[in-house]
Amino acid sequence: MRKQFKDTVTELAAKDERVVVILGDISHFLFNAFQEKYPSRFYNMGICENTLISVTAGLSAQGFHPFVHTITPFITERSLEQIKLDLCYNEFGANIVSTGATFDYAWDGATHHCYSDLAILRLLPGMEVIQPGSKKELDALIRSQYANGKPTYFRLSDHGHNIDVPVEFGKGVVLKDSGAPVTVMTAGPILGNVLEACNDLPVNLVYFHTLKPIDKELIARFRHTKILVVHDAFGLHEAISEVPDLSIRCHGLPDQFCVWYGTVHDIRKMVRLDPAAIREAVRARSQI
Amino acid sequence: MVKMAPGCREIRKSILRASRASGHGHIPTCFSIIEMLSAVYETMKHDPARPQWPERDIFILSKGHGALGYFATLAQYGYFKAEELSTFGAFQSRLGCHADRKKVPGVELSTGSLGHGIGVTVGMALAFRIRNSPRRVFTLIGDGESNEGSVWEAVMVATHLKLANLTILYDANRSQVRSLPIPNPAERFAAFGCDTAEADGHDLDALKAAVARPAATVKAVVAHTTKGHGCPTLVNNMFEWHRKSPSPEQLEQFMGELDLP
Repeated sequence: MRKQFKDTVTELAAKDERVVVILGDISHFLFNAFQEKYPSRFYNMGICENTLISVTAGLSAQGFHPFVHTITPFITERSLEQIKLDLCYNEFGANIVSTGATFDYAWDGATHHCYSDLAILRLLPGMEVIQPGSKKELDALIRSQYANGKPTYFRLSDHGHNIDVPVEFGKGVVLKDSGAPVTVMTAGPILGNVLEACNDLPVNLVYFHTLKPIDKELIARFRHTKILVVHDAFGLHEAISEVPDLSIRCHGLPDQFCVWYGTVHDIRKMVRLDPAAIREAVRARSQI
Repeated sequence: MVKMAPGCREIRKSILRASRASGHGHIPTCFSIIEMLSAVYETMKHDPARPQWPERDIFILSKGHGALGYFATLAQYGYFKAEELSTFGAFQSRLGCHADRKKVPGVELSTGSLGHGIGVTVGMALAFRIRNSPRRVFTLIGDGESNEGSVWEAVMVATHLKLANLTILYDANRSQVRSLPIPNPAERFAAFGCDTAEADGHDLDALKAAVARPAATVKAVVAHTTKGHGCPTLVNNMFEWHRKSPSPEQLEQFMGELDLP
């Protein structure tokens, strides 16, 4: 997904002189060609996430469309107040592009895990929150949103799915509607596990790549069913729960730091987000 | 001591009247920044009749709690009528106790939480550099504000980029004597790579010279100021008056103190 981010932004920079890239000392090698082509619009600004966001706001205030990019917890949690005030409160548009979703950096431990980013950013007025699940989704959503004058968060993952899903900002997607009494709702890369878990089960399946604004109209269509949210981060369950009168439960993350290493697959298994455990949760919700 | 410039005296009187009328205002901190604000507004390319003029220079008050001083200065330089200052902090006023860029003509950034404005000015100065624009950016930060690590992050980035179109004015009003003072701030800015000058922060001409001097990189102006400057009662009781408004009698007393030669 990171390579797609670079490809898309490089292409946009060729036709839009307002595109500027700010890196927090990550992905520099990936952007070598960009730097060569557009040296005045490329800045590896170092490991100072608060300032990365403030500088991004300043560039935006003077008419640029900045992309600021570094590791998820540092650019979202550490810089939350800069995002809240310098971007959202001041109404300066910008593109925050993280890398390392949830347990992507499994082996690095809890300091590098991040699962609160979507939940906290969706609380900020004016913010757009996007969790693309695939390269195609990332590409389409960057193109449609990058210059719209709003602060937009793109959460990149190294473990995207390969499922071809229609992409329109702010719109959820019905992947399966069999009129079943249970609906599974999910977002982002974990769709791969969810599909594997319940493709053959009698449930409806709804997918989101945009968490804010969440597609409330679509959610309401499934109000008469029992909803199970399956997600590997906080934020989606809370967003869906804003629709009134739902019968909703969540199969998500535990209220604890995940102190294991290994790979994302190891940790997903430990926290019961592997296909087998998701299948069990869906069957329990369906009482089958 | 340098004689107070008449315009700066008028701004201080506006602050006192507005604080009396509204019940709000950080008077001592506002009094410490008036000459700095005036030096910037007399140096900047700006036009109060066209606050969005595309060729204007930019000023950002990073120490946002100096808002009343900022508004009084904006009024003095023609951005709006001084009478509006009496609405300071009122429910539907444009003039809150921290400035809102969406409401106040001439305000380019909504500030309040410390350590934010300076970082945004680095982005603005960089934007002008990318465009080869002659526009300049000025920001005023506090010594208390400089307890925030983000201030020094921003200075590091600015000097690394050699943003010669950025000027940082540092209000050395010794507000942190009881918590985390910064000894020798000029040495610190110089160590971070700024072209640094020190000035009497109440000497308008000295400040104008320090702000306008040519430099090859980020300019820092360490302005030695006194909280409450112009009113001995405020100077001698700066902590008591940090966030207090005068009674009618105190207003009269402070006006009198300001008029002392």
